Amino acid sequence: MVENEKSLVEARGVWKIFGDRAGEALQAIKSEGLDKAEVLERFEAVIGVRDVSIEVREGEIFCIMGLSGSGKSTLVRHINRLIEPTAGSILIDGIDVGSLDAPALRALRSKKIGMVFQNMALFPHRTVRDNIAFALELRNVDAYTRMQVADGVIEKVSLQGYGDRMPSELSGGMQQRVGLARALAADPDILLMDEPFSALDPLIRRGLQDEFLALSKTMRKTTLFITHDLDEAIRMGSRIAIMKDGAIVQVGTSEEIVTNPADEYVADFVKGISKLKLLFAQTVMVPLKQFESEAGKIGELSSYPKAGPKEDLDRLVSLAIGSKRPVLIVDDGNPVGVVTKDALLRGIQGET
Amino acid sequence: MAESHKSSFAEFVGSGDEYYSRIFEKIQKSSLEFAHINFAAATGGFAWAAFRANWLLAWFGFAIDLIALVNLAGAYKYSSASARALADGKDFLVDRYDAWAESNLIAAVVFFFGGRFVFGWLADRLYYRRYSAWRIDRRKSSGANASRLAILAAVVVLIAPLTLYRASQFPPEHRTCIKQDRAIQKGEEIPFKNRFDCFAIGEFPTLFWLDRRNEFSFPRNEDGSRRMEVKPPREGLPPISLNTWTAQATDDGIAYLTAFYGWIFDGITAFLRTMLGAVEAVFVGTPWMITAGVFLAIAYKAAGLRIAVFVGLSLVYLALFGFWQTAMDTLSLVVGASIICVVFGLPLGVWVGKSRAGQAIVTPILDIMQTIPSFVYLLPAVAFFSIGKPPGIFATVIFAMPPMVRLTALGIKQVPENTKEAALAFGANPKQLLFKVELPLALPSIMAGVNQVVMMSLSMVVVAALIGAGGMGFIVTEALANTQTGRGILAGIGIALLAMMIDRVVQKAKIAKN
Repeated sequence: MVENEKSLVEARGVWKIFGDRAGEALQAIKSEGLDKAEVLERFEAVIGVRDVSIEVREGEIFCIMGLSGSGKSTLVRHINRLIEPTAGSILIDGIDVGSLDAPALRALRSKKIGMVFQNMALFPHRTVRDNIAFALELRNVDAYTRMQVADGVIEKVSLQGYGDRMPSELSGGMQQRVGLARALAADPDILLMDEPFSALDPLIRRGLQDEFLALSKTMRKTTLFITHDLDEAIRMGSRIAIMKDGAIVQVGTSEEIVTNPADEYVADFVKGISKLKLLFAQTVMVPLKQFESEAGKIGELSSYPKAGPKEDLDRLVSLAIGSKRPVLIVDDGNPVGVVTKDALLRGIQGET
Repeated sequence: MAESHKSSFAEFVGSGDEYYSRIFEKIQKSSLEFAHINFAAATGGFAWAAFRANWLLAWFGFAIDLIALVNLAGAYKYSSASARALADGKDFLVDRYDAWAESNLIAAVVFFFGGRFVFGWLADRLYYRRYSAWRIDRRKSSGANASRLAILAAVVVLIAPLTLYRASQFPPEHRTCIKQDRAIQKGEEIPFKNRFDCFAIGEFPTLFWLDRRNEFSFPRNEDGSRRMEVKPPREGLPPISLNTWTAQATDDGIAYLTAFYGWIFDGITAFLRTMLGAVEAVFVGTPWMITAGVFLAIAYKAAGLRIAVFVGLSLVYLALFGFWQTAMDTLSLVVGASIICVVFGLPLGVWVGKSRAGQAIVTPILDIMQTIPSFVYLLPAVAFFSIGKPPGIFATVIFAMPPMVRLTALGIKQVPENTKEAALAFGANPKQLLFKVELPLALPSIMAGVNQVVMMSLSMVVVAALIGAGGMGFIVTEALANTQTGRGILAGIGIALLAMMIDRVVQKAKIAKN
């Protein structure tokens, strides 16, 4: 993936504490290091987000993964300031969102940020087309342009012919397409997706994930994608942040997280994940020299199945099946390492 | 198993466990004879129930016995009154008192024996239910205990003597007691029995007397403006009660407002009259053929053929019985009042739905408005706007507004939080949020409010005929005053048809829209 290194969305030390005495509670947490239960008892306050700093680069899909109550939805609502942080700041394109006045904030929301919700949150009294054109309507775009734009987006999400239907006439999967189209209609730079596919059944979810990935490749929107499902995060995300109790436990690519979990909590999550598509030859191979010193010269190259260092485990397994010899990893025509069946099996178990 | 069962019976009843174990077992087996009566309970009455910690039954038994005794005391009261009347030579009273004494005596006998019979029948059955409750919660009192009789005796001593005394005496009249109060203030000697009677068995005694208020009047000056004159109360008049004092103060306040702020009420009256004039021009000023045709067309369009036929038949009824003009009068009042209710109720409802302060301020007022009987609204309406149609509309608006406010607020509150969040996330400002999301989603609830307003307006407009609002209600009140039953019933049916027409059309229109 080609990634622009410039960060478009940035959170700096964001804290969110719910409760009437949030300020006091924050002071106490910082000076005395209170935990969740103590904060609740002393200040009747709940920690939503705990000192989160993230950078989302332009064009990437940044997944935030966590179980319910981990603060991921709260965190994402800070980005368009549906929730005000107790401390810290959010920068979009270098501008502090917290410093905007009401009209500027509304302009930011309607032009730069599109949002998709878990429960769709469509407007039941408006047609699909009027739902999609909502952000434009708020900006007083004329009806003709609205229709043109909406019809264009309807085509993108393959809802042709449904423009004049009401949302209640559509199935769950189609409703979420409307939700997605509504977020895309204003052609925003940033997409906030709050567990968009969680309420759908698995087949439809998978279909929508693929469609979204395809769309995303052409549209290159910077996306914050929230999910409670690590599989989904791995499928969707260029990078993944894992949240627990309001704090970020680990940020990294899916391979980094799977091969190198930051703590037990993440390791626990990763345990159940299939590594076939996540681990690559270069990670599991034994370097050629080490192999030869243990097992002797490999001899004639042509008798080995061969793969590149970037091939995933799935591919290596296919190569290894039916071959008595280990898989030879070849980079630029030179053998660099060997993947034995033992290494392959260990890799499938997640050990490298 | 069966043994532990029996032992729990014994543990519960205390003494007499052999008898009660047998009875309870029969109850559990559903084999208790229907005619079964506990004779100990029937004889002992409420004392038995108290002894057995069966308090509900104890109160029931006490109540029956007390009613029997009260009737007995009544019999005594009227027979002695009859004797007195005979001695005073008031023969016409003797027969009446004798008859009352006799009926009281019969009631006393029936209540005592009948009551004890029912009590005996209920005793074991309720005792078993008590046992079931005790099995669930063993802290409930059980067993047989004579000390409970002492509690019972205390209760009886507190309640019975005064009640029986009250039943055996003619209570003093309130006015007699007031006179007696004044005599006591002047230092006269009053026998203890009279003082006690006034305090204990008559109207609740007037505990304190207040000095009379100054007298206010608001005569006109030369130039037509008003001034306020205050005179101290005349000497020598007796003090007044709290009720009189407050009522006078209220009257003075209203008089003050009408004298100095009359222009406000005149302005409102003028506004109401103008508006009503416009509405009446539509309903009353249009020839009946056109109005009827329009009604039918609206009914057909909005609610379909069946309702249109119903509306047509109702209109025929109103026309044939000569109610056309009056019905249109009533309809104009209803429409006028409903428009005002919606115009003011809708924004108020939005405020209540969106703001906590609004809710805290308006909700108690609405509660009061809905609790006060509709007749009472006529009083301030008359006080401020005199009589006629404007005060009628005013009273109607106050009566019919609450559902509009409530249902609008309800509709606004029911808009899902995540739908509002979505609108905000796409950059809606508060006005756009209200008009593009909240109000459209609250519409079904708002329409229900409008329907309620129309119905309540109609019922109040009929009542408002009492203060000269005219219309169908006038025919009913007139019929009531002159006992023209037939005429009144015909008008009543007309009102009912009017209400059903409006309701059906509005309801159907709502359903069709959804």
